Amino acid sequence: MFKDLDPILHSQLRLAVMSLLIGLKEAEFTYIKEKTNATAGNLSVQIQKLKEAGYIDVMKQFKDNYPQTTCKITSLGVKAFEDYVKNLQSYLSVKK
Amino acid sequence: MEEKNISEQESLLLIQQMINTAKHEQKDDGKGWILWGWLLFLVSLLTYINLYTRWFSTYYFWSYFGILSLLLLLYSVVKYYFFKRKERAKTYTGELFQKLNVGFFITIMFIIFSMNIGLEPMKGFPLLIGLYGFWILIYGTALDFKPSIIAAYITWALGFAAFFVNSFATTMIFHGLAALVGYIIPGHIANVEFKKLNR
Repeated sequence: MFKDLDPILHSQLRLAVMSLLIGLKEAEFTYIKEKTNATAGNLSVQIQKLKEAGYIDVMKQFKDNYPQTTCKITSLGVKAFEDYVKNLQSYLSVKK
Repeated sequence: MEEKNISEQESLLLIQQMINTAKHEQKDDGKGWILWGWLLFLVSLLTYINLYTRWFSTYYFWSYFGILSLLLLLYSVVKYYFFKRKERAKTYTGELFQKLNVGFFITIMFIIFSMNIGLEPMKGFPLLIGLYGFWILIYGTALDFKPSIIAAYITWALGFAAFFVNSFATTMIFHGLAALVGYIIPGHIANVEFKKLNR
């Protein structure tokens, strides 16, 4: 019996953000935007969804008079990502 | 990239791509190892030559190296706190290296201090070589960089052998070799790999 893939993660941009953050301690919004080739508006919306799910922490602060948004994966996010990968692997192994 | 649902295969591919992107942040250009390695190597070599020519006192070059190291340390601290280029992504390895470097320099100072209050330099330098090996092993392991991991064990072997030499000139040869094997060679390999990756 398969578990459904987490709908929060099973979307292109949100999964890209999570996959990027899983290997980093934290990353700035501009960095994530550059690496995912997303538009600022779309990325903001998806980051908000991940934040609401408790998968990432979003820190907003001012550095040298400029606003700076930093994202960091939470332990709940790590668990969700690991479960997602596990479920993905079982889907793919059956499809082979 | 847009907000859209994707197939399982696409998901897996995307995860791999993004993890590789994050991995890229953890590569070291090796320039620090090269600079530190060449400095150690040159001072060892100059001290070795000086032991035969007797142009200057025995530790003349090491004294200047100490001053230069302190100036470099001061420069790094000032650069870090006042002119730091903001890193847009922080890695766990980056944080580990910062702490490792602090521990490394403090321990070096302990050994140098002990040599100044009575520890024989022919025993102090092998301890320094042992410390280099420790630093190199942690760096190599954290970066998953095999040349450094291998170099760490060779450095330790050189350090251990250096305990048994019977002249300070030979100690300097072992110290220079340790710098070559431990820092210079892996540093240049890391630099070549880094350049390839950033082409």
